[in-house]
Amino acid sequence: MIAALWHNIDYAACVVLFCIGLYTVITKHNLIKKFMGLNIMETAVFAFIVATGVVEGGNAPIMGPGVEPPFINPLPQALILTGIVVAVSTTALALGLVIRIWHQCGTIEADELREAE
Amino acid sequence: MKRALVIALLLAVAVPLLIAVADLPPHGSPDAPAHTHVAPRYLERGAEEAGAENIVTAVILNYRGLDTLGEVTVIFTAMAAVLAVLVGARAVTALDTPASALPVSMIVRFIVRVLAPFIVLFSIYVVLNGHVTPGGGFQGGTIAGALVIALTLIMSDEQAARLLPRRPERVLQAAAPLAFIMTGVTGLLLTGDFLGYPVGHESALVATLMLTFVEIGIGVGGAMVIATIFRTMGAGR
Repeated sequence: MIAALWHNIDYAACVVLFCIGLYTVITKHNLIKKFMGLNIMETAVFAFIVATGVVEGGNAPIMGPGVEPPFINPLPQALILTGIVVAVSTTALALGLVIRIWHQCGTIEADELREAE
Repeated sequence: MKRALVIALLLAVAVPLLIAVADLPPHGSPDAPAHTHVAPRYLERGAEEAGAENIVTAVILNYRGLDTLGEVTVIFTAMAAVLAVLVGARAVTALDTPASALPVSMIVRFIVRVLAPFIVLFSIYVVLNGHVTPGGGFQGGTIAGALVIALTLIMSDEQAARLLPRRPERVLQAAAPLAFIMTGVTGLLLTGDFLGYPVGHESALVATLMLTFVEIGIGVGGAMVIATIFRTMGAGR
């Protein structure tokens, strides 16, 4: 188990990063910090999926004269590019809503907002 | 008590994930399932079929073009939603402080001014070379959008408002989906499939031109969307 984890230390690092993000989301009351935590979790997932595409000693998947296989798998990179853009979009919308909450309620602390209800 | 709950939850997430991760094929092994299905075909045929030497670009814009069309629609929708949430909804609260122009350090101002033309050049390079080098529309558009944000920080509001073109603003904000749909229709006319690209040696130039057109559309649209979102959020400071 430990030896297998050692081989997949990159994936294990992504799990740790994911848990850091989850910790931020569930313990912080500030909404912006919560969204930062969410972004850390997203980053962990992206890093994990990109890491699955790595081939030992592979070249970048850009064809042309003088490049030799093995190539790194292009599919995870392409999918994660899409994922990153969607993550940026949701973050933008979330921050917009936070600004609106600030203007309406004067606070962005989740516990204070709950009291204000 | 609360802390114990948090730790329990984190362990409940981390332990199953770590066990699953330990069971995956070793990192970097070439015969992992992720590398044996559709990826080898993309790598073998991508350069000739898709008109892009960069296989990542080929996958994004050609093989999975519909996916990316949805994605550019998502960023456009996000911008529309931010505008809907923020514009015209500035409730008067006691917290509205008078807009005070923050004094920007001379060093920051000088460096942004000096770097600006090079950043523009680099973003254009990244957009136009997306099919042969790492990069592409999203990356180049983000660089240009970041430059607009940096310039907004060092300028007064009136100057910054002139950074973005005023009149065709809406068209430019929607540039990415529009360029994509136009290319899709062109593909429909040329090959009979929406987002189809002509395949073959003699029409490789046409495919590359279509890809470049989409890249430019995504670049312009992405930069405008990022700059617009930033401007909208900063408008009430």
